[in-house]
Amino acid sequence: MQRTTLWRRRGAGLAALTLVATSVLGASRPMPDFAADPYPSTYRPLPAADMLIVGVTVLDGAGARIDGAEVLMRGGRIVSVGRGLPRTGATVIDGKGRWLTPGIIDVHSHNGTFVLPLTSLDQKSSDVSEISDPNAAGTWVEHAVNAQDPAFAVALSSGVTTLQVLPGSTPLFSGRSVVVKPVPAPDVYAMKFPGAKQGLKMSCGENAKSYFGEKGEAPNSRQGEIAIVRDAFLRAKHYREEWREYSRGKSKQAPERDLELDTLVGVLEGTIPVHMHCYRSSDMAVMLEVADELGFHISAFHHAADAYKIPEQLRSHGTCIAVWSDWWGFKMELLDAIRENAAMVDAGGGCVMMHSDSPIVGQRLTIEAAKAAAAGRRAGIAIPPEHLIQWVTSTPAKVLGLGDRIGKVAPGFNADVVIWSGDPFSIYSHADQVFVDGALAYDRSKPAPPPDFALGRPEMEDVR
Amino acid sequence: MIARMKSSIVAALAFAGVAAQAETVAIVHARAWTLTSDAPVDDATIVVTDGKIVSVAAGGSAPPSVRLLDAKGRPVTPGLMQAASQLGLVEVGAASETVDHTIKPGSPGQPGAGFDVQYAVNPNSSLIQVARADGLTRAVTYPGGSGVAPFSGSAALLHLLERGDIVERPRIGVFVSIGNRSASATVGSRAAQWQSLRNALDTAKAGAGTPPARGAVKSADSIALELVLEGKIPLAISTQRASDLRQAAGLARDYGIRVIVLGGVEGWMVADELAAAKIAVVLDPTANLPYSFDELGARLDNAAILQQAGVTIAMTLGGVQSYNAGSSLREGAGLAVANGLPYVEGLRAITSAPAKIWGVDDRSGTLAPGMDGDLVLWDGDPLEPSTLPIAVLVQGREVSLVTHQSRLRDRYLPLLPR
Repeated sequence: MQRTTLWRRRGAGLAALTLVATSVLGASRPMPDFAADPYPSTYRPLPAADMLIVGVTVLDGAGARIDGAEVLMRGGRIVSVGRGLPRTGATVIDGKGRWLTPGIIDVHSHNGTFVLPLTSLDQKSSDVSEISDPNAAGTWVEHAVNAQDPAFAVALSSGVTTLQVLPGSTPLFSGRSVVVKPVPAPDVYAMKFPGAKQGLKMSCGENAKSYFGEKGEAPNSRQGEIAIVRDAFLRAKHYREEWREYSRGKSKQAPERDLELDTLVGVLEGTIPVHMHCYRSSDMAVMLEVADELGFHISAFHHAADAYKIPEQLRSHGTCIAVWSDWWGFKMELLDAIRENAAMVDAGGGCVMMHSDSPIVGQRLTIEAAKAAAAGRRAGIAIPPEHLIQWVTSTPAKVLGLGDRIGKVAPGFNADVVIWSGDPFSIYSHADQVFVDGALAYDRSKPAPPPDFALGRPEMEDVR
Repeated sequence: MIARMKSSIVAALAFAGVAAQAETVAIVHARAWTLTSDAPVDDATIVVTDGKIVSVAAGGSAPPSVRLLDAKGRPVTPGLMQAASQLGLVEVGAASETVDHTIKPGSPGQPGAGFDVQYAVNPNSSLIQVARADGLTRAVTYPGGSGVAPFSGSAALLHLLERGDIVERPRIGVFVSIGNRSASATVGSRAAQWQSLRNALDTAKAGAGTPPARGAVKSADSIALELVLEGKIPLAISTQRASDLRQAAGLARDYGIRVIVLGGVEGWMVADELAAAKIAVVLDPTANLPYSFDELGARLDNAAILQQAGVTIAMTLGGVQSYNAGSSLREGAGLAVANGLPYVEGLRAITSAPAKIWGVDDRSGTLAPGMDGDLVLWDGDPLEPSTLPIAVLVQGREVSLVTHQSRLRDRYLPLLPR
């Protein structure tokens, strides 16, 4: 147990450390859990009254559409969904003419690190990622997240209830992500999604080789990038072996902790999902092969501009894509991006999410989905709303390892729910009410409390 | 034989880029958003002859033996217009040799106000192909930076014909950029930026009407600013903060020149002053975040407030203004409508308003007799992002909707495992 002192403790952090016993007979020491979180969430849901929403059109995130439905929420959970539910004394909300969906999940945000307003200080050194080395696997983006970023409140007001904050794509190993709720909070711990796994952001292609290459450093080519990735994972395997030897009692000295390798071992163990920034099908195919060789799984390719060229490889690897609807052309590796990408991968049996990468796009992920579906329609691929909504709800929930808690309007799920003024795929619709864990976190009919940054600033507090 | 020769000559002429030859097209059963009035004309017949609209009439009949396009009740609008893009001046933003909208700072003898992008426009750009297939038929393309603060340079008006020269009018306006985003790249303090601009206008004023000394020529910079001072072309000022918008209004007043604001994120705070100074605003309707200290007041109803105050507004969406030059306009206008802009004003902000701002409303931006036959038939509400164009006509000719992207789709679609 003395080895646990290797980990930083923070309050109840010790309890959160999971020590996994090895199965070797006579083992004297447990293996560390390389995905353990020493900085647990302090998020507390707001008080939630029992709510019964009636007469609403539900897209449940599980593939169904129920018109004229009722949804009962109690104690922060969804209790039931259907028609003719018994009135149980819950507060009744009239949903007539309105639509209800699970809270929107953005798997690719930089909110809190790309903090608005941006200044010249951010140009000199930004908190989006640590770029002193192509391997920043030892960094945790939560250590940079500024909870006061006004972008969080805007995300909430547009129906987003969960975001994954990823580090940027300049390094090959960009660091660990954090999953948060965009609720007003003084620090990131009060936003952290309790028990959510961290991910590892990785990248391939132009960014790392251009940035480091221009500085005269490695990598300066795609093959250089892959060599660094393979080398790092081979070292991680060795590191894991050293820990195994130690836990089996075969060596006396505990290996020296290495934050980079901790993360990569977490990836190899499957406890830290990989979110890989890749645009080009050839780069994605290479990464899938490399992952097979080294024994890890890529949860999702982000951006995945021409994933439509390799749907079968993506499907057989169980790798999802997180994409924009229509961004193309501004980089060489984006030249073959087409608007039908998402629809074609979906039709090919693949797993599709819409992502933002931008606090502007992040306000309209349903519109991103609508545009991608429209392109599909032109290509003869019909995607009904009840299927489409999964791209921004249950599918990202599953990819974040939260598929049994959020992303669906179903009994037992967290009551993260959006009531839309109309069809969520219409530009004219607004998020009228946004519930997080059953509590009304945003109400369009009442002015939202301004973020701290806005206080006392007449331009922002709407003093007209 | 003669007939065959004739038709091959017509084809050859068409291929050579000559405007449509004595050809009539009629769109029938259209919901025509003429934008000359606030309501659409239902079951309209729109007749286009020789590239120009001849008539738009409810229940009208098409002339005999013309090419017919049945709209089946769906909406037809004028072709869309980008009030500020960089179309034709960029192919791949990250590949600097394909970027012609900006001069490297410090280049010797580089022009400022007179940096004239007309010479760089590439009509074969894939961005233009995509924009046209998305229903964009005109665009102003403006310089990103001349390196001589605060001037970006002179913009050109493009008419997105499928063939031939698309530069319809060069030197349509002088662009400048003032504010904190410009500060680091140029002279620093915005006070100095405004002073540089005023000094340049004063110098041009002093030199105007004076013939150049023997053997000397007038610089492109002087010529461009004289055009502004004569009121022949507007000065487009890219700026965001309320205090700078007031400066823009003051400049318009002091020099008696026509000013357009590009950006104007905090325009809602000074809407009446902008209206009084007759300053049109080309805004980004998605801008609701305080990206910089100049943009703290960013909000989604900026468009609605400005329009209500009597300011002419047009739209362009930062970041995608060139790559999705057509589709982004519709999404932006829809968003503005969702946030209080009247529907028809949303349509105008991407058609007739930019035409008016840039002085081509005599030939474009509305569906009325005498206007260019630039129009789009949509498969639904044109301000819904999920709506698609069915047909795009430029000068009465249906243009190709084929793009690099559609060709890729058609190559890979049959290969999908299904």
